[in-house]
Amino acid sequence: MKFQHMFKRTVKEPPKSPVFERPEIPDGLLKKCNACKSAVFVEEVKKNNYICPHCRNYFRVHARRRVEMIADRDSFEEWDSEVVSGNPLKFRGYEDKLAALQEKTGLPEAILTGKALIEGLPAVLGICDGRFLMASMGEAVGEKITRAVERATEERLPVILYACSGGARMQEGIVSLMQMAKTAAAIKRHSDAGLLFISVLTDPTTGGVTASFAMLGDIILAEPGALIGFAGPRVIEQTIGQKLPKGFQRAEFLLEHGFIDGIVEREQQRETLALLVKMHQPVSGKRNLLTGEDQDALWENSFGQELPFTEMDAWEHVQLARDKERPVGTDYIERLFTDFVEMHGDRCYGDDRAVTGGVALFNGNPVTVIVQEKGHGTKENITHNFGMVSPEGYRKSLRLMKQAEKFGRPVICFVDTPGAFCGLEAEERGQGEAIARNLYEMSNLKVPILSIVIGEGGSGGALALAVADEVWMMEHAIYSILSPEGFASILWKDSKKAMEAARVMRLTAWDLKKLGIIEQVIREEVRLSAENMEPVVRKLQTGIRAFLKKYQSLDTAALTERRYTRFRNM
Amino acid sequence: MIRKLLIANRGEIAVRIIRACREMGIETVAVYSEADRESLHAQLADEAICIGPGPSAESYLNMERIMSATMVSGADAIHPGFGFLSENAKFAAFCEQCGVTFVGPDSEVIRNLGNKQIARNTMAAAGVPVIPGTDHPVEDVETGRQDAMKIGYPVIIKAALGGGGKGMRTAYQPEEFDLAFQTAQKEARMAFGDGTMYIEHYVEHPRHIEFQILADSRGNVIHLGERDCSIQRNHQKMIEESPSAAVSPALRERMGMAAVKAAKAAHYVNAGTIEFLLEKDERFYFMEMNTRIQVEHPVTEWVTGIDLVKEQILIASGEPLSIRQEDVNIRGHAIECRINAENPEKNFRPCPGTITDLHLPGGQGIRVDTDIYPGYTIPPYYDSMAAKLIVHGETREEAIAKMQSALGELIIEGIDTNVDYQFEIINDPDYQAGNFDIEFLSSFRQK
Repeated sequence: MKFQHMFKRTVKEPPKSPVFERPEIPDGLLKKCNACKSAVFVEEVKKNNYICPHCRNYFRVHARRRVEMIADRDSFEEWDSEVVSGNPLKFRGYEDKLAALQEKTGLPEAILTGKALIEGLPAVLGICDGRFLMASMGEAVGEKITRAVERATEERLPVILYACSGGARMQEGIVSLMQMAKTAAAIKRHSDAGLLFISVLTDPTTGGVTASFAMLGDIILAEPGALIGFAGPRVIEQTIGQKLPKGFQRAEFLLEHGFIDGIVEREQQRETLALLVKMHQPVSGKRNLLTGEDQDALWENSFGQELPFTEMDAWEHVQLARDKERPVGTDYIERLFTDFVEMHGDRCYGDDRAVTGGVALFNGNPVTVIVQEKGHGTKENITHNFGMVSPEGYRKSLRLMKQAEKFGRPVICFVDTPGAFCGLEAEERGQGEAIARNLYEMSNLKVPILSIVIGEGGSGGALALAVADEVWMMEHAIYSILSPEGFASILWKDSKKAMEAARVMRLTAWDLKKLGIIEQVIREEVRLSAENMEPVVRKLQTGIRAFLKKYQSLDTAALTERRYTRFRNM
Repeated sequence: MIRKLLIANRGEIAVRIIRACREMGIETVAVYSEADRESLHAQLADEAICIGPGPSAESYLNMERIMSATMVSGADAIHPGFGFLSENAKFAAFCEQCGVTFVGPDSEVIRNLGNKQIARNTMAAAGVPVIPGTDHPVEDVETGRQDAMKIGYPVIIKAALGGGGKGMRTAYQPEEFDLAFQTAQKEARMAFGDGTMYIEHYVEHPRHIEFQILADSRGNVIHLGERDCSIQRNHQKMIEESPSAAVSPALRERMGMAAVKAAKAAHYVNAGTIEFLLEKDERFYFMEMNTRIQVEHPVTEWVTGIDLVKEQILIASGEPLSIRQEDVNIRGHAIECRINAENPEKNFRPCPGTITDLHLPGGQGIRVDTDIYPGYTIPPYYDSMAAKLIVHGETREEAIAKMQSALGELIIEGIDTNVDYQFEIINDPDYQAGNFDIEFLSSFRQK
């Protein structure tokens, strides 16, 4: 600015004119984004799903607007609008406050409930509105949720609750606390009736709401960046006298810690909810997805007669099973299923990336798919811990299997692990217990389970996804008590003798078929890779159809009895 | 009358606008990005407000911040200059909503003229010539052939979904049409999966001739003659002059009337420019209307003696035009060369950097509009134009001689510039003979 003070000004005195009207930005034209601090056009924010056009920060959304964003136009039918708080503690000034808020928001209470269509499918909606005492849960909110859930149970409808709440409502004290139990109980009954509850957590979801209905979804979704926690961050900081790390209690933090299934951007929420509701539509009677098809013909088509197997050394099988080019779990998911929705987390500790699981459609019918995932290339290998599953991975898989059981859909597992993760943390969190629990629960799971070993079937780590009605193996997959290296090291104190070990361990698919450990071998004609796996995928498609036809026609008792006997005879 | 004007721009045009205000006794507010702390416009204005980081999206294109600066400074008007937000209808509307005078036309006018289809229809309806073409999709060669006859050869056949020159063919004579159409359609089907075509008159070797107009809020519209901007590289103008060697007084009269008609049809208020393509046989077609002050406005100022920026401010303040059409006299000849911080030897790569030494030409008939000074560092974020050298002579020959002399005297050290390249163009016999069209530079150095 070297010339600034050298330039002479030419405006002698600023003209004064008293009638001069100073321009101003009209109210409601702009608003400030709390994240990037910039002023943004209200109109633009509205058009953009209430997302800051500069930094993509999420603004809070009023309940009625939220309904417009997710429900089909004019399909929302409001329920229980007459339910309002009765000031149970006779708290001074509370009634005036409520009246003022009702006036301001046009809402009788902090939640809007009712029924709507989402892409044509009916669902019960409950949507908190943060403008109303931070959508804290008093008796009215608790009552409205409970009634909505009860009515959903009666009408056999799914429930979707958008949580946004500071927690309990202080003005209603202990009565507010009881709403936590009341709503949880209603949801339990809804769940026991085999119905779907999707909880969507928005900023902020804290306190008694987190500790009740919000965390009880069969599927829990969250908006990016949403604050979600029990104790608020300020309270925690004051209590422990420490500064909390960045990102603490945000949606991404919860995802990493296994408490939510996924983070969904606003643009995709309607679509995602519709797909999930569609996948959980109640079916009347037995699924008859395979009518008219002859089961034997299906088996024949998929696997053919016992072809003479490829003459190959066991060690070569081991190497092929570990081949870097070999298709991994997600390659099978992509090709065999449509509309895969991944579900994350064990709801206890974390989300193990060595297991990928979720709901998908197979020939248009919902199935639960769980794969042990290695990924392609070093970077992905590291992300997925080379397919070595941690306790939280097994707990996630079990959670998804129990979910499949609740909704009566079959489970299809793809096994590909060198073994369960061997490490300090895994032991601390109970690796043995987690595997054992899977064996225990899977033995009696009331839906068909098919496990396909696609690469390495390493020990208990593999078995924890293979207590199934049938186990199939790719021709060059292996399945064994432990790795040939480990075997050689234990028996012969020399891990270098792995090649010899492989030959005596009987770990190839054909060996295991002869031993009666597995049911089917899927021939691989070429050195398999994601690029050339189409023929294998076609065989699996017909095979899985035949499997489903056979096992879905069994009643539950026969199904579990058969599975029991399968292992009882080994 | 505007009392305090905020200039929502930078560089030489911001300086140009501040200078007009200094003469008119209007207080000025400059806005600048963090990269422009040392810029001349920020120093010359009465006040300067920083509006964000270097990248334009976070500063000169951020309307919310610019409006906040307007409110804070108490300015009652905004001049948008050229580029940035100057033709942004949303910004103009924002100014209207906030009660700030936008020095330019109404937001609605900007929006309509910014939409190619609406603009074309408006002009055609008002009787302003537009490039003849089909107004319906053409699917088969027979219909196409009939359309082409009506339109007049040569014609260009374009894919409706086209882009990147794919599915585009020219037919100079009726005999060539069938093959051209079929090839273009085949290509279109291959590239876009759709064989819907449009046919348009192909304007061969046109000159870019634009007319400056002034329109006040009382419905008076005048034109200030033309500028010939045919010397351009990749649609970037490099040399502009007024009058054009290709426009006779009679043609000027016709084109000027069309320009006035166009401005009236668009309900235009303030200074604007109507761009035409001029064919060899004096046929001309409306291309688009620029709803702002142009880079090349000084050549018009010099041949008419009218200060366009002052006129803009007066019009925006609601004043009527002080000049009538009959008062407009084109006197002498003016040429402008854009001096850019770029290296013509390296495919015109921009060369931001520090000006170590500077000598600007001067004297009778020489004008330099620039924001650079010795020691100034040109930031890398913005347009590479560093200065405009404008000359005025009694005749085109005299103007060319002045430009040669002035370019030869212009020294900018520390950065690469296109001064030598401009010097070569001015010395080119075809240029000097006025013998050029918009293709001139594409073959310039191959000659």
